[in-house]
Amino acid sequence: MLPSARARARRPTGERGKTRWTEHLIGFLHTFGVGLVAIALLLIFGLSTPYFLSRANIDNILIQISIVGVAAIGETMVMLMGGIDLSIGSIILVSAVITGALTTNHGLGAWPAIGAGLLAATGIGLVNGIFIAGIGIEPIIVTLGTLIAAQGLGQAILANEGSWIQVTNPFFFSLATDQVLTLPAMAVVMLAFYALAAVLLRDTALGRHIYATGGNRRAARLAGIPIGRVVVATYALCGLCAGVAGMLEIAQLGIVSQNVGDGMQFNAITAVLVGGISLSGGKGRVEKTLLGVLIVGTITNYLTFRGVSAYYEQAITGGIILAAVFLDHATRRRAQ
Amino acid sequence: MIEQVRRQSVPGADLTVPPILEMAGISKRFPGTLALDHVNLAVRPAEIHALVGQNGAGKSTLVKILAGDYATSSGAISIDGQPVAIHGPRAARQLGIGIVYQELSLLPNLTVAENLCLGREPRHGISIDSRRLLQESAAALKALGLERIDLHRRIGHLSLPTRQLVEIAKVLAQHPRILILDEPTAALAPADCDRLFEALARARAGGVGIIYISHRFQEIIAVCDRGTVLRNGRVVSTFATRDTCLEQLVEWTLGQKPDRYAQALAKDATTTSEPVLAVSSLAIGDRVADVSFQVRPGEIVGLCGLLGAGQDEVARALFGDQPAARGVILWKGKPVLVHSPRQAKKLGIGFLTENRRDEGLIPDMAVRENISLAGLHAITWARWLPLVRRGKERAATGTAAARTNVQAGALGRPIRLLSGGNQQKALLARWLMLDAELFVFLEPTRGVDVGAKAEIHRQLAALALAGKAVLVVSSDVPEILALAQRILVMARGRLVAVLDGTRATEEQVLLAMQGGYTHAS
Repeated sequence: MLPSARARARRPTGERGKTRWTEHLIGFLHTFGVGLVAIALLLIFGLSTPYFLSRANIDNILIQISIVGVAAIGETMVMLMGGIDLSIGSIILVSAVITGALTTNHGLGAWPAIGAGLLAATGIGLVNGIFIAGIGIEPIIVTLGTLIAAQGLGQAILANEGSWIQVTNPFFFSLATDQVLTLPAMAVVMLAFYALAAVLLRDTALGRHIYATGGNRRAARLAGIPIGRVVVATYALCGLCAGVAGMLEIAQLGIVSQNVGDGMQFNAITAVLVGGISLSGGKGRVEKTLLGVLIVGTITNYLTFRGVSAYYEQAITGGIILAAVFLDHATRRRAQ
Repeated sequence: MIEQVRRQSVPGADLTVPPILEMAGISKRFPGTLALDHVNLAVRPAEIHALVGQNGAGKSTLVKILAGDYATSSGAISIDGQPVAIHGPRAARQLGIGIVYQELSLLPNLTVAENLCLGREPRHGISIDSRRLLQESAAALKALGLERIDLHRRIGHLSLPTRQLVEIAKVLAQHPRILILDEPTAALAPADCDRLFEALARARAGGVGIIYISHRFQEIIAVCDRGTVLRNGRVVSTFATRDTCLEQLVEWTLGQKPDRYAQALAKDATTTSEPVLAVSSLAIGDRVADVSFQVRPGEIVGLCGLLGAGQDEVARALFGDQPAARGVILWKGKPVLVHSPRQAKKLGIGFLTENRRDEGLIPDMAVRENISLAGLHAITWARWLPLVRRGKERAATGTAAARTNVQAGALGRPIRLLSGGNQQKALLARWLMLDAELFVFLEPTRGVDVGAKAEIHRQLAALALAGKAVLVVSSDVPEILALAQRILVMARGRLVAVLDGTRATEEQVLLAMQGGYTHAS
């Protein structure tokens, strides 16, 4: 017998043997748990109220989640890299204010105005990244700073423009009302961004570098990865996503007012956590964030539909975060 | 009868003494694998019991069970004849089990003294009695002959071997009754190993039962009383070290006769070409001064020295991981600055360190992506379209993995699930895929099993044969002797000797390593 064949023959038969079904189940839950929860919620809610699964309500949910959905893409990237971005709520405000003001009060077309809004959003992200990577300050501190600074900036511009802006540009109107491939246009925008982000994270050098930086920063550096550039690029991308969320916010509301984007960072982080991406980074997929967004959005929609007050809604959302984090923690530990 | 008499004469292996720790029929099942299969292990008081086996044989799992990290799937553990259940690390400590891990458990931001007394700080009412803290930690270090370590330094500022010594001192200071050491000497230079062995002898004299895990068989034969060999989760043999020999141990662990290293191959390689790397007057902070040497294509150069002699720093400087480095580095005749690992990578320098977990692995990434990580630019569609070509990635990583004998089936799994030896081979594949021209290896076989070690040695030899330049830093002198054509010896931050690797003896190298300590420099 060849040595390799002998070695194989000698291996104890038990090595690949029986695994208890509970362990299979835990492994399965760890991989598909979020998806199962989403499906279960849709079923339960759908059975309890027929209207819930009606076409109109599904479109409604999709439109509602598209804003936080796009914002959560950027947050996913940042958290996968081992960082956190608290400033996206303010970035949404700034980009919405700039775009809204330029098209409504300064006569710019929709596209140049959107360009300017996205540029500003990306710029704030860049500032985050440069402070974090270049100077080495903790992301939570830097982005808390930009959260407050950008909030002030956005409110100041808004005050200058007459404290609220009614955006009448037909582009934004059609974004909110049009259907593309039988889906609401805003939902299509969100799904397109998820598709782009999935490809970016899985199949581009930057995506791999984001995972590597989050997974083991020092090892990534020693593998020759330009950590600084990766950090800056990721925060810039997160800013860009927040900017796109700002554009969707204009479309959905038709009005840019003081509370645009307010607290959105927490909704985005909730969705990311419910999707199973841990704060320590390096592990998880953006597709799961979409499920997280869907779960949170579905529950909110159902509670609103049932006439539960907004205060309870908040309490329940908080409970969801804790439950998600607990489930993830429990299955992760058992799966290893 | 004769057999029995001989056994009894072995200190600590008196089989009539009831065991202090007994594990009977221990099995541990993980999804898809049976890590331990009815393992029996008995350790008597005043015995040093070796636990031997390749990575993945089940040693770590056994230790984790004793540490209270894992529950057993079946089997019984008793201490002093009393059945016990170890529910968590705290319970393990209360049962008198002390463990020195291979992966250190010290807190980098605390000082040496604070770490030594962590969790049992002497108190003064509610505040910490810092004078007694210092006294107690000084005593803990003194027990190991480590007075030279500064109690006030932060752990994060110490070198890895020094941290290892502190870790050992910390566990010993808790006076465990059952002491487990997981490859304690892997990071240690010979002098420090001797200190450790003295401390172990003292602990044994005090009646402590010691489980000693090591890949260094000579050490096991010299230090241990009895031992148990694991292979694929099963006990292959329980032996008295008196009755065994090196070759026997290797055969038990591998399950086959040992291979010979490929050193002969490397030594045939001719090295007449121009040096790919020439270092002159390299200085790093105040730790290294005036180091000059060259490495040619097709050559394996060994770099060794006692703990802290500066060999680590020199190797790291070549990879841009030593910001304080000064001096001239010529790469293919041209002066270059290597400020970052990224620059080193671009020049064509590959790097593999002793510290896989912190400096090599992206634990949750698949093996394949870990391999391709440094070389993504070569497998994208175009510079302006940095999308990874999946097919090309598969091909390139597959080829590199095959060259280092990483199982093809493992490529899709997260790298943290692989054994230490396979992880190291995968990391080597990373630089092979990049086609680096100079490979810098820092303790490349530290903590890997015999089989993987031989394979990594073959790899190094093959690299040299393929015309690559190789620099190996190792504190394992036989390894350096087996591999290197030239041996650079450092002491006290200076290069003190250059020896011919084909003729030098172990004594010569060890003597040179002492050089800087006997002569005033």
